[in-house]
Amino acid sequence: MIPMENFLVLSALLFAIGFYGVLARRSAILILMAVELMLAAVAINFIAFATYLDADAFSGLVFALFVITVAAAEVGLALGVVLRLFREKRTANVDAADSMRW
Amino acid sequence: MGMEQAWVLPAIPAALFVLIALLNPVLPRRGDFLAILGMATVVGLVGLVLLDFMDSFEGGLFAPGESNVYAFDWVKIGQDFFTIEFSTYVDAITMVMLPVVTIVALMVMVYSTEYMRGEVRYGWYFAVLSLFVAAMLTLVVSGNLIQVYLAWEGVGLASYLLIGFYWERQSAAEAAKKAFITTRIGDVGLLIGIIMLWRATGTFDIQEIIAAATSGQIGETYLTVSMLFLFAGAAGKSAQFPLHVWLPDAMEGPTPVSALIHAATMVVAGVYLVARFMPVYDEVLIARDVVLYTGLFTAFMAATQGLVATDIKRVLAYSTVSQLGFMFVALGLGAVGPAMFHLFTHAFFKALLFLGSGSVIHATHQQEVSALGGLRKKMPVTSATFIIGSLALAGIPIFAGFWSKDEILHALVHDGPTWAYVVLAGTALMTAIYTTRLVILTFFGEPRDHHAYDHAHESGPAMLAPLVILATLATVAGFFVFDQVGEALGFAGGIGYLVFTHEPHHFTAVDWAFAAGASATAVVGIIIGWAYWHGDARRANAAKSWAPDLHAFLVNRWYMDNLYQAVIDRVILGLATVVAWFDKRIVNETGVDGGAQTIGYFGYRLKFLQTGRIPNYALGMAVGVIALALVAVGG
Repeated sequence: MIPMENFLVLSALLFAIGFYGVLARRSAILILMAVELMLAAVAINFIAFATYLDADAFSGLVFALFVITVAAAEVGLALGVVLRLFREKRTANVDAADSMRW
Repeated sequence: MGMEQAWVLPAIPAALFVLIALLNPVLPRRGDFLAILGMATVVGLVGLVLLDFMDSFEGGLFAPGESNVYAFDWVKIGQDFFTIEFSTYVDAITMVMLPVVTIVALMVMVYSTEYMRGEVRYGWYFAVLSLFVAAMLTLVVSGNLIQVYLAWEGVGLASYLLIGFYWERQSAAEAAKKAFITTRIGDVGLLIGIIMLWRATGTFDIQEIIAAATSGQIGETYLTVSMLFLFAGAAGKSAQFPLHVWLPDAMEGPTPVSALIHAATMVVAGVYLVARFMPVYDEVLIARDVVLYTGLFTAFMAATQGLVATDIKRVLAYSTVSQLGFMFVALGLGAVGPAMFHLFTHAFFKALLFLGSGSVIHATHQQEVSALGGLRKKMPVTSATFIIGSLALAGIPIFAGFWSKDEILHALVHDGPTWAYVVLAGTALMTAIYTTRLVILTFFGEPRDHHAYDHAHESGPAMLAPLVILATLATVAGFFVFDQVGEALGFAGGIGYLVFTHEPHHFTAVDWAFAAGASATAVVGIIIGWAYWHGDARRANAAKSWAPDLHAFLVNRWYMDNLYQAVIDRVILGLATVVAWFDKRIVNETGVDGGAQTIGYFGYRLKFLQTGRIPNYALGMAVGVIALALVAVGG
C-alpha cells in the first residue's frame, strides 16, 4: 500500500488549488468549479483516513457520500443564482454584482 | 359617633371637595350650600366627639378600655419592616384644634357667600375651601407622621390654590409661589426629621415615637437633630423667622381665605406639631430653646413691622406672625397649655379681625389706610366687632386675648430668662400700639378718601353674623381658662387641665398682680397709639420724619425680602448657571452629541469595507478561516 501521506498531500494540493480558484477567478461558473474542487479534496481526505486508520472503514466513507450529496444540492442552488445574475447583467462576471455597496 | 370615628370628620369635606369641584357648573348657587351644610354637619359631629371625649375621663385620666384610636394598614411590606397606616388619635390637643378649625371654617364659609358673590370661579373657591378643611382635619386627628406629612402638604396645596385664586394678577401668582416654596423648604426639614425618627424607632406612629424617645431609646444628639428638623417644618408652616416671609404676601388671596388659613388654622399647624411632640422636646432642651428664641425673635420682629404697615391686611398678617411667635415662646418653655390656649383664643379674634377688615374692603374697595378713616359712623357693626377683636388682640382684660397672653407672659417670667420677658412684654406693648393705630386710622378721624367713604355701607347679614359670633367668642373664650367654668360646662376642669399631657395644671386663681401689670402694658399701648395717630396723626408723622431710615427699615420688612432675593440671585442662580453650563457643555455636547458623533465617524470609516464586490467578501471569509485555523491549531 502506498503511504497515507500521499493521499493527504494530494488532498491538500487540490484544496489549495480550489482555494486559489475561488479567490482569483472572475467567472461565477469557474468559482463554483473551484468550490467543487475543494469539496472533492475534503472527500479524498476523509476516505484516506477511513481506509488507513479505521478498521471497518465505515464513518469516513459515509461522510464522503454526504459530501457528494451536499455538493450536488449546493450546485443546484448556486447555478440557479448564477443564471439569475446572467439574466440581469448579461455576464457571468461576479464583478458585475456590486450594487450592495456603501 | 365617638372618638374612634374621628376619621369621618375629614372624610366629609374631602368628599365635598370632589363633588363641588366636578359638579359646580351645574349645581344651583354653584354648590356653596353643600360646602356649608357639610361644614355644619362636621361642627355637629365635633360636638359629639367632644361629648365622647368628656365621658371617657375618670379621675382626670383616660378611662381604661376607652379607645381614642382608629387605625388600618395602608402599605405593608414585610412583617415589621415598613408599614404605613391610616390612623387617628384623639386627645386633649386634638380636642382644642377641632372646634377651632371647624367653627372658624363654618364662619368663613358663610361669610364668603356674600363676600365672594359674583367672583370668578365661585364654585372652585368653595371646593378648595372644603379641601383645605379636609386636609387640616386629617392633620389634627393624625396618629402617624406619614399622615401628618400628607395632610401638611395638602394644606400647603390648598393654601397655594387659594392665595393664587386671582391668578390673573401677577402679584397673586408670585405670592402663591413664594408661599409654597418657602414652606417647602421647611417641609424638607420635616421630612428629614420624620425619616430620622423612623430610622431610630422603626415606626411612624406618633405615640410610639414619643414613648421610645422619652424612655431613652434614642441617642440624645440624634434626637435633638431630628426635633430641630421637625421644628424647621413647623417654622415654615407657621411663618417663623427665617421662613416668615411668605405670610404678608399671602394677603393677595381673598380675605376670608386669609382669615381661615393664614390666621386661625393652617399657620397653627406648626404649633400643633411641636405641641404634640412636647414630651420629646422636654428631653432635648437645646431644641426646645431654639423654639423659644425663634418665637421670641419672630414675635418682636413682626410687631415692629406691624407698626408701620399701611395695608389693613398686612398689619393683621404681621400681627399673626407675631402672635404665632408668642405661641412658640410658650412651647419653648414647655408650657403646652398656654400655647394651645393662645392658639384657641387667637383663632377667634384674629379671624374676627380679618373678616372685619374684609367687611371694610368689600364696602370701600380699598385696603390702604391712606384711603380710609371715619368709618365708624358708616359701618357700626363692623367697627364694634373689629374694636372687640382689637381689644382682645391688645390684651385688655375680659377679652380672650388677655387671658392667653397673660398665661404666656406668666410662664416666661417664671421659667425663662428675664431679658426674654422684657422683650416679650415690649412686644405686647407694640401689639397694643399697632392695633390701636389700625383701629384709629380705619374707623376714627376724618375720612381721607371721600369717594371710598361715600361708597361705604354696612355689610349684609351673611357677613355680619359671623362677625358677631366671632366677637362673642373673642369675648368669652378667655374664661375657659378657669376650672370653675370648665367644670360648669361638664369638663373635668378648665382648658389648662384639659390640654395637658402629663400633669394636669389646675387654674383656679389668677396671679392678680401680674395680670394687672400685663393689662397696664396693654392700656399704655392703647394710650400711646391714640396719642400718636388720632386726628391728623401729628406725632406719628413727626416721628416718621425724625427717623426715616428706621422707618424704611421697618417698612421694607427688615430688608429680609431683599436679602432673600440677593441670595437667590447670587447664590442660587449662580449655582444654577454653573450646573446649566455643565449640563449643556459636558453632558449634552460632549457626552450625548459627542458620543453620537464619534460613532458616526467610526461608522463612516468602516462603511468602506462594504464594497459589494463578491471577491472581496470571499477574501474576507478566507482570512477569517485562516485566522481561526491558526487559533485552533496554535492555541
